[in-house]
Parts: sequence; C-alpha cells; structure tokens
Amino acid sequence: MTRFVAPVAALVIAALLVTFPIWSSAWESSRYATTILQSMLVVAILALSLDLLVGSAGMPSLGHAAYFGAGAYAAAIAGQRLGSDDLLLGLGAAVLVSAVLALAIGAVAVRAAGIFFLMLTLAFAQMVFAIAFQAADITGGSNGFSGVRRPTLVGLDFNDGTALFHLVAVVFLLVLLLVWRIRSSTYGRALVGLRENERRMRALGYNATRLKLSAFVLAGAIAGVGGALQAYSIRFVSTNDVGVARSVEAFVSVLIGGASTLLGPAIGAAVVVFIERVLDSYVPYADTILGLVFIVFVLAARQGIVGLVRVAFTRVRA
Amino acid sequence: MDEKTGAERRSYRLTRRQFLAASSAAAAIAACGPAGTPGPSGEVTASPGPALKIGQLLPFTKVYAELGNSMKRATDLYVKQKGGRLANRPVTLVYADEANDPVVGAQMTQKFIDSDRVDLMMGIVATPIAYAVRNAIDAAKLIFIETNAGGNALTRTTNNCTPSCKSKYIFRTSFSSYQISYPIGEYFATRKGVKEVFTFVADYGFGNESAADFTSGFTKGGGKITGSLKAPLGSADFLPYVTQIKAQQTKDIYSFFSGTDAINYIKAWTQLGMPAAGYKMNGAGFLTEQDVLKEVKEQANGATTSLFWAVTLDNAENKAFVDAYQKEYSLLPDVFAVQAWDGMQAVDLALQAVKGDTSNKDAFIAALEGVKFKSPRGDFEFDKETHNPIQDMYIREVKVQSGQAVNTIVDKVARVTDPGK
Amino acid sequence: MTPETAVVQALNGISFGALLFILAAGLSLIFGMMDVVNLAHGAFYMLGAYITLTVVQRTGQFWLALVLAPLLIGALGLVIEPLLLRRLRGRHLDQVLLTIGVSLVIADLIGLTFGREIRSIPFPAGLDHAITIMGGDYPVYRLFVIVFGVALAVLLAVVHRRTRVGALIRAGVDDAPMLAALGVDIDRLFALTFAVGAALAGLAGVIAAPVFGIYPGMDVDYLIYSLVVVVVGGLGTLSGAIAGASLVGPVDTFGKVLFPEFALALIFMIMALVLLLRPTGLLGRIRIAR
Repeated sequence: MTRFVAPVAALVIAALLVTFPIWSSAWESSRYATTILQSMLVVAILALSLDLLVGSAGMPSLGHAAYFGAGAYAAAIAGQRLGSDDLLLGLGAAVLVSAVLALAIGAVAVRAAGIFFLMLTLAFAQMVFAIAFQAADITGGSNGFSGVRRPTLVGLDFNDGTALFHLVAVVFLLVLLLVWRIRSSTYGRALVGLRENERRMRALGYNATRLKLSAFVLAGAIAGVGGALQAYSIRFVSTNDVGVARSVEAFVSVLIGGASTLLGPAIGAAVVVFIERVLDSYVPYADTILGLVFIVFVLAARQGIVGLVRVAFTRVRA
Repeated sequence: MDEKTGAERRSYRLTRRQFLAASSAAAAIAACGPAGTPGPSGEVTASPGPALKIGQLLPFTKVYAELGNSMKRATDLYVKQKGGRLANRPVTLVYADEANDPVVGAQMTQKFIDSDRVDLMMGIVATPIAYAVRNAIDAAKLIFIETNAGGNALTRTTNNCTPSCKSKYIFRTSFSSYQISYPIGEYFATRKGVKEVFTFVADYGFGNESAADFTSGFTKGGGKITGSLKAPLGSADFLPYVTQIKAQQTKDIYSFFSGTDAINYIKAWTQLGMPAAGYKMNGAGFLTEQDVLKEVKEQANGATTSLFWAVTLDNAENKAFVDAYQKEYSLLPDVFAVQAWDGMQAVDLALQAVKGDTSNKDAFIAALEGVKFKSPRGDFEFDKETHNPIQDMYIREVKVQSGQAVNTIVDKVARVTDPGK
Repeated sequence: MTPETAVVQALNGISFGALLFILAAGLSLIFGMMDVVNLAHGAFYMLGAYITLTVVQRTGQFWLALVLAPLLIGALGLVIEPLLLRRLRGRHLDQVLLTIGVSLVIADLIGLTFGREIRSIPFPAGLDHAITIMGGDYPVYRLFVIVFGVALAVLLAVVHRRTRVGALIRAGVDDAPMLAALGVDIDRLFALTFAVGAALAGLAGVIAAPVFGIYPGMDVDYLIYSLVVVVVGGLGTLSGAIAGASLVGPVDTFGKVLFPEFALALIFMIMALVLLLRPTGLLGRIRIAR
C-alpha cells in the first residue's frame, strides 16, 4: 500500500500544477499569479538543465543563458521565417540550435575543469551575447525580437494564456521526468562518477571528455527548450535572455534549491524569481537579499532547501 | 554645479524605500482628504469620485535607475500639486521596477492589468521593453502613456508590426528618435550652412536610428556624410574613437550617446584637444542633457544638440515647473522629469474632458487626442494619427554662463511631427 | 591609418592595457595563491571608484583616495576572507560561488548608499592637462596610467621575487598544504593575500574612475574585462596578467576602429583564439584541472 503513496502524491501534485489557472481562477489575481508561476517554471527548466552539469557532473557553467537565449531566438525566428506556428518545429529549432551551440562551445570548454570551466563558459556566453546584440538583422539586436507567434500542435492552439500555461507546465514535468530518468540511469551515474573521481572513471575505461561533452550538449538542448517556452510566454526575445544576469539567476537557483537533488533547482528557481521579479518592486534591496540568501546556502546548507527539508524530515521521524 | 548644490544633492538622496513610502503616503493622505476641501485652484470640489489607479513602470535599479527616480519625482510632484486628485478622482500611483529587462517589464505589465487593475499605465524607459509589452497592452485595451522610450516604431505603421507599431491605446509624451535627429540634420544643411558631417553613434537600435534619421535630414538638405563610426554601448575607452575622428578631415561630428558613454566621449574629446583642432561636437540632445552636463561641465562647451526642452527654456510654464521641482527636491529637473510631467498633464486634461470617467475607452482616447496645453517645453499636442507629440525642436548650444555649463537655446525647428511611416 | 595616427592609437592601446593590468592584477594574485577566482573583484573595483568619488567630492583630494580606497577595501577583504572564505577552505569551487553572493550584496549596497546616478570625476590636478604628441594634444593622465601600471608590475615582481612574503607566496602557489606543514600560518597568509587582491581591485577603481566613469552595473562590465585578461594571459601568475593585458589592450584598441562592427565581441574573439591555440593562456601554468 505505502509504495503507491509516493507516485500517487506526485501525480496529484503534477495535476494540481498543470490545472493551476483553472482552480485558482476564483482568486482576484489568478492571472498574474499564473504569469509568475509560468515564469518560475521556465527558469526552473533552465535550472534543472544546469543542474545536470553543476550537480551531476560537477561542471559549473556560468554561461548557461547562452543556450537558453539561443533556444528562445531559434524558436522565435523559425516561427517567423518559416511562417509556421507548429510547436514541434519551434521546439525542434530551439533544441537544434542550442545543442549545436553547446557542442561548439563545449568542445573547447570541457577540456578545462572547475574554475577554468566556469570562466570559459562565462566568457563564451558573453561572446554569444555580443553576437546576438550585433546581428540585428537576424535577432533584432538591442531592440529585441518582437511578435513571437504562439504555437499550435495538431489542433491544440496555445494562443490562449491558459493553454500556454498548460503547455509550459507539461513540458516542465516532462523535463523533470527526463532529468529523473537520467539521474537514475547508468549514464547519470557515470556523470556523478566524473564529479567524484574523474581519474578513476578514466581508468574504468570511460571517455571522460566525450561524457562531459554529451552532458553539456544535453543540458544546452534542455535549456533551449526553456528559452523557447519563454519566447512563447513573453512573445519577445531580448539580449537579456543571453546575458550574464540570466546565467547567474540559473546558477543561484541551483545552489539555493540544492544541487544534485531532483526538485532543488526548481524550488530554487521559484525563490529566485520571487525575489528578483516580484519582491524587487517592493523593496529596494532585492539583490542584497538574494546575495545573502545565496551566501548562507553556500556556507551552511550545501544541499540547499531540499537538503534542509530532508534533515528536518529525518529529525521528525527519529 | 557648485559645491552647495552638490551637498544638497547628497542630503536629499533618500533610499528608494523611503522614497516609495513617502510618495504613496502622500497620495493616500490626499485620497483620504475630507470631501469639499478647497482644491488647488481655490474652488470647492465635490465629493471625490472613485480612485484612479495609475501603474508606473520605471527603472529603479540597474543603469537607468536615476532616470526612473527623476520621472517618479515629477509624477509625485504633479499629483501633490493637484492635491492628490485628478478630475476629482483620488490618485493612487503604483510603481514597479522595469529592471532593464523585457521579461520583468512584461510581467509587471501583466501585474498592472490582472492584479492591480490599473485604469492606465505610464512609464518605460528602455525601448526594447516598450516593444516587448506593446502587444499585451494593445490586446488588453489598456491605455498606456509612454514617457521616455523613443524608438521610432512604437508610434508608426510598420511592416508586420516589426519591431513594434502604433496602437490606438498607446500615446507618447517623450519623442521619437526621428524628432531629435532628422530636424537637426535638415537644419544643419539648410539653415546653418554645414556642408559635411561625420557621424559617430552608439551601436544599438537607438543610436543607429538617430544616425539614419540625421543622415536623411542632412542629405535631403544637400549636405554630405563623409564617413561614420560606431561604438558599442558601454565602450569603456573612447580615446581610440576620438583619435580616429581626428585623423579625418570633416570638422562637424554628429553623435548619439547618452549617460556614461556620453560622459566618456566628451571627456576623450576634450583630452585630445578636439575644439582647438577645429572640430565641432553635435548630436541628439541626450549627448548634453542634465545628467551628463553636471558631470562634464564646461568640457561640453560649444556642443550643439537638438531636443524639445532645455532647463533654460524661457517660458512661464518652464519657470514654474523648474521652480516647483527645485523647491521640492533641491535639484534641477531634467528632460526625463519633463516627459513624466507632461504625461501627467495630458492625463489630467483628458480626464477633465471626460469628467473623470475612464470607463469609456474610446471617449478617453478621443479626449487624449484632443489635449493641447502649454508644457515646460512649449506647445504640446498629440499627433492624432500616431499619438506621438507634435513639438518644437530646439537647437541648443552648451555655453558657460556665470561658471555653469548650460544648454542655451540658439534656434528652433517648429512643430516637428513624426512621419509615422 | 597614417603613421601619426597609428602611433597615437598604439599609445591608447598601451594605456588601455595598463589599466587592464591594474584591474586584473588582484584577481590573478588571489587565484595564484588560493586557487579562487574572486568573482567579487568587479564589486571591489566598483567600491574603489565610489570611494574615490566620495573623497574627491568631500575633499577634492584624488591622491587621498588613492591611499584610502585600497586601505578600506583591503580591510574589507581582511574581514571577508576569515568570515566567509576560510570556512570553505579546500573547496575552491564553493569559494568561487560564495564570491558571487558577496558581489551581489556589495554592488547592491553601493547603489543604496551612494545612489544610482551615473557619475564621473575629473582628472587629478597636475595630470589634467595635455602634452603634444605627433602634433596633437594627448592627455597626460593616460601617460601616467602607463607609468603607474609599469611601476605596479615592477613593484609586484620585486615583492614576488625578492621578499620573504614573495617567497611564501611562491611556495604557497606551489603547495599550500606543505607550507602549512612547515609551520607557516596559512590562515594569516591567505587573509593577507585576499586583502591585497581586494585592495588592488580598489586601486584599479581609483585609477580607472576618471577614465571609465562610475555607474550602476560597472562591476559586471569590468569583472568580465579582468577575467578575459587573466584567461588570455594565463591564470594565477603576474607575468600572465601582464601578458594578457599587453595583448588585449592594443588589440582591442586597434580592432575597435578597424572593425567597429565586431567591437563588442572583439575581446572574446581574442580569448577564444588564444584558448584554441593554448588552452592554459599565453603564460599559464599547466594546472587546469583543479
């Protein structure tokens, strides 16, 4: 009996999440709350993808927004240039472009480790930012890319705000499921092995460079999906979406929520979005709060919010 | 700026929380005022109508923060002067931080629409944010008064609405980049007798628009552009650029830069002795606006720019505005304050015309289209076609008067209208 | 480009490179000793600029700021290292992450304390005039920056090679645990290193303030510049910082005017190119997997 409790609870929570705009519709600010939740889910996808690198493989990328932004631009531009609203086409373009970009940058970056890797990913992301800014004919440059078309999928029209939320929530759940599967697969364990002891993994016959590069491309592709969803949500893509601030947001989300915990990055994303995009209009020191929260988690709670909850939970049970 | 005003600046500076708290309190007190109290004009007003909620989306953090602060000051001052009411409706101002990020801007706009349910929305400093929220505002039929962003497309008919296009719900009390760039180009060629110009602008949407509009005005008037150069936003070091400008023969340079870039450019210009070598700095007005001028002071001496306002502009409305602003904040207002102030004026007058009733959107839009008033900048009215202002462009020259560098008015191009296409 | 212009542009480039060296020196020092990339470096730099602004406004004394800002920021470093970084000793990556948080807090508090206006300070008296080079005016301050940068490099090199502290640093770079085993107070050494690195960032803020201006967001802009310089030159060595700055400064200067459309991406293209050819940077130590 008890072994059904967890899956059933997960299904119920998932259903509640997807149907949020419906059951919250009685609230006065339901639509705004939906907007914020949607934004949290998008950043959560970005953070979940980053955690594949940071948490699983121990690859601290500080330029992850490059792939997020590339996906956003790709979905937006593909939709407009090809005159198609097809969701699979948009997401396909996003995955393709961000994966190729991640492959190109990763080929250089994964040769470095630790702090060098962090700096290289940051610097390459700045290069992507510069290109997005400069290539105004394609990306709209500093003016941004406006009028992103909302997608359709075999009769489903996501033009409506509620339908789009369902899409974002479902994709988020799929990404969560994917990350969960990866983490429990041999591939995922190999990544963790890399983080724990790369030399040993090499001795065991793993091609560490190829393994890292594959993780980098996979994380880039998932980030690209997040970017595409943001482009559909805001119907606009700007150079901010490839900027360093977005990368820091993702990184902070992973660390606050708890790296290498399944749900941590998503919870962290919710906290970060709340502080940066909601609280920011009420207090003038939102960045200070975010910075302090971050410092405390890095110093004292390396497993993030999820880690704290686990500790509390085991204490209660003991 | 002398030492004394410098000290006053410092003592004035409140934290943003104090600032936000103080202003919402002022609005609240005004809102709770007893019915039948004498209004500012002296007549006894009737009992107040329903509250008027105005959402103000302005930058309070990141690089444009001070523009947001300036615009907020002007807005609060206007509401205070009117005793907290416009057309007898108590005003509630809801401020949100645009954070120089279109994603945040879009979310805050959604907040105004769905959560705050504002009667109208104002603000937005950065052009990409205005472009990002344009469709959402249009779809929500929310009346929006743009009080800074000057991207041409916001009030134009464009191909596929890219990057933006006009909307019947969107008005602008600031300017379009055409307005601050094209007339001075034409003026240089036809009235100032300048034959050749070299352009040097910030390489982003706005700078490029400004260069293109200046170029078309100048060449249409018979002038010739001999060359051009661009610098990315946030170019730390301007010496290489100015060295390159000095290596070519055209003496008149047209520039679009603002903020830190303008300061660094003007300083590099002075350092390389450009004035002595016979070079003349010209540009769109933001090159020498108050925020820049107070830092570079006499180094900008002789720069000729075009803008729809200057702090020295000699008219009764401007004097009253500058005095009131200075009295309230111990600061000189800047053009951003004027834009926000005129936004409030336009709203106020339109509200009066519809007797405070904003429920009929079309009637309120018609009222806004019909407003004509004396602004600190001179005569103000909206172009009914585009909802962009019709306004005089002043040709201004920086001069040092009694130790202070100020923009002085040397000429004007009357009633400049954006072509709308 | 005429030869005269080329000479002036070369001067511009060298001067820009000197500023970049001053900016990157502290970052490189901390990394060399502690294996920590201090991502709060830009925030320390920003703080240096704002302290300069305040001192110049109050007293008009630029040179006072040149002494005061590094001292104050060094003191801040002396607090931050034991209070925060030391707790994560040996976990280099966590230490780096910690500095992201420190950076967010410092930059935001600067905005709350000093305001978010864009500011600028004049060149200090005595260095605010121009001299004639190649028949045209050239600002003396930019020449001063070159002299200052070279002097700083020489000073750091002398300390590094000829003094006991330098010997400790060299030993610490090679093998900090061994140094501790030999009875050297490693806590003190690390705190001191971090403080000096932070002070150097503050010093860069003072020297650069009259040239680059003071504005919200400058911390990130110049952090990225300094990262590029040390990555290009090779992390963690004085000679690496010098090499990086010497390459990036002039190339960026000439590139800006010769290929203006690539100006924004230029320094990253330099970086990518160098890394493709030499993954450890021009003069980097082969220790990239740490």
